[in-house]
Amino acid sequence: MTTATDTRSPAATARMRGTTDASDTVIALDGLRRHYGLGDRAVKAVDGVDLSIRRGEVVALLGPNGAGKTTTLDMLLGLTDPSSGTVTVLGQKAAQAAASGRIAAVLQTGGLLSDLTVRETIEVIASLHGRDALARVPDVLARTDLDALARRRISKCSGGEQQRVKFALALVADPDILVLDEPTAGMDVTARRHFWDVMRADADAGRTIVFATHYLEEAEQFARRTVVMHRGRVVADAPTAQLRAGLGARIVSATLPMAGSSHEAADALVARLAATDGISDVRVDADRLSLRATDSDAAASTLLASGAHDLEIAAPTLETAFTALTED
Amino acid sequence: MSHSITISPTMLRVEALRQLRNPYTLAFTLGMPVAMYLLFGASMGYGSLSAGNGNVAFYVMVSMAAYGAAVAMSSITSLAATEAKQGWGRQLAMTPLRTAGYAATKLINAVSFAALAVAAVFAAGLATGAEATDAWRWFACAGIMLGLGLMFGLYGLGVGLFFNSDTAAALASISMTFFAFFGNVFMPLDGAMLAIAHFTPMYGFVALSRWPLTEGTLTTGQTDPLWMLLLNVAAWLLVFAALVAVGVKRSRSRR
Repeated sequence: MTTATDTRSPAATARMRGTTDASDTVIALDGLRRHYGLGDRAVKAVDGVDLSIRRGEVVALLGPNGAGKTTTLDMLLGLTDPSSGTVTVLGQKAAQAAASGRIAAVLQTGGLLSDLTVRETIEVIASLHGRDALARVPDVLARTDLDALARRRISKCSGGEQQRVKFALALVADPDILVLDEPTAGMDVTARRHFWDVMRADADAGRTIVFATHYLEEAEQFARRTVVMHRGRVVADAPTAQLRAGLGARIVSATLPMAGSSHEAADALVARLAATDGISDVRVDADRLSLRATDSDAAASTLLASGAHDLEIAAPTLETAFTALTED
Repeated sequence: MSHSITISPTMLRVEALRQLRNPYTLAFTLGMPVAMYLLFGASMGYGSLSAGNGNVAFYVMVSMAAYGAAVAMSSITSLAATEAKQGWGRQLAMTPLRTAGYAATKLINAVSFAALAVAAVFAAGLATGAEATDAWRWFACAGIMLGLGLMFGLYGLGVGLFFNSDTAAALASISMTFFAFFGNVFMPLDGAMLAIAHFTPMYGFVALSRWPLTEGTLTTGQTDPLWMLLLNVAAWLLVFAALVAVGVKRSRSRR
């Protein structure tokens, strides 16, 4: 991987200086709504989102399919007009910022022309951004590992390779803000790792990065801040570490000891667990007990010591995380 | 920057290359008109007979070249519309390229390719005995068909915007062949067929393209007044413009 330092552009240097100003808001979403259709059948894809992102932040937009992530990003890029509310990007309207290349994106639905080669595709988009961008093409090809594929037709590229081409299209404008919608979809493990390595270098160079994902793991590993969306609304917005701690409870389940007349012993165990700090949702179904515990090790050890067996510990899935976030 | 029309030479070059390596466009816009000219013009015994201010071979050559120009225009613009509607349009939306710049790029592309189609048929004509009384008549015919051919650029744009991408390309090319048959382009029509032909979209276009040669006289002896041909072109221009307007509305509402 080429390091970001030896290819740093004037814009990147400007960004570095910019990071010293902590209150520098680069993205402001205000009362953002986008509805499709009319009347009773109206779909509220985005239903009142307020969000402010500062220069240099790395933000994950997390949510299940249909949460409104893509629509939010489309409005952020000026590709879709909000039904109500405003989008301000670097003090400009979203479409202006996107046209000038100050905000760029890897789109989930962004299509490429199948009969162009990789190099032609990147050159066309670069040429529209001007001479500087065109001069950046060889560097961008190297950074996205597309050198060897430069002469290949898009139609002959795999899904992951096409995803890298889209990434190159976003990088070629040298944007201040990079928006990524499910950026690693279709990539294999190696490509995925390489992708995030490149992104990390970019983030360190001061680029603001906003990415949508439905992988909890990608948000955890890469974003310092996570915004959780559900049904068109922001249901959580916090530093990722803090959010993870909140969602960190694991599900512990085990079969209770039912031998002989130890019914009372089992009841006592259930009562004791239910009273323990950090344990919630204790449920018994036939002789199977399940609970939610922040310290799953301690809960497991208590259960095993009491003669429970067939122990299982499950990490919270995104589904359970959303249930937890949306229940109250 | 934001007010001037952005056109990128790189994009023009790549767009031209795309057309040149697309076997489909090559066959329909360059190959087919030349082949049809050779078949129905050059290789026929009547080719050297006199017709208006030239010979029959020249008449057939101009007809086929006009068809090639019209197909080149409509296929490139229909493709342009479908590409813009799809994901590529979203990529372009995130560049300084505005709709005007995109349209200008595709228009330059379409006119250049139409000119290439005309040049190919004219070269074949020059090599196989197509003759006009004056050299300027060659240029006049070429100029008229390239200028008026823009109406089929509008048609392709409308079809591309109105229909989904899979249908649009096929529909644009099939309908052009249909228009050509019923527009007195491929072979001389007569009787009821000719009466109907007067109202079809390619009739005025091709008759005006042949005007420097025929001055309105048909191979079957009748004469078309100039105003009637101009009216045909004007009426269909309006229809195509309306199709584009409806197409724009429809593609917006589907987004």
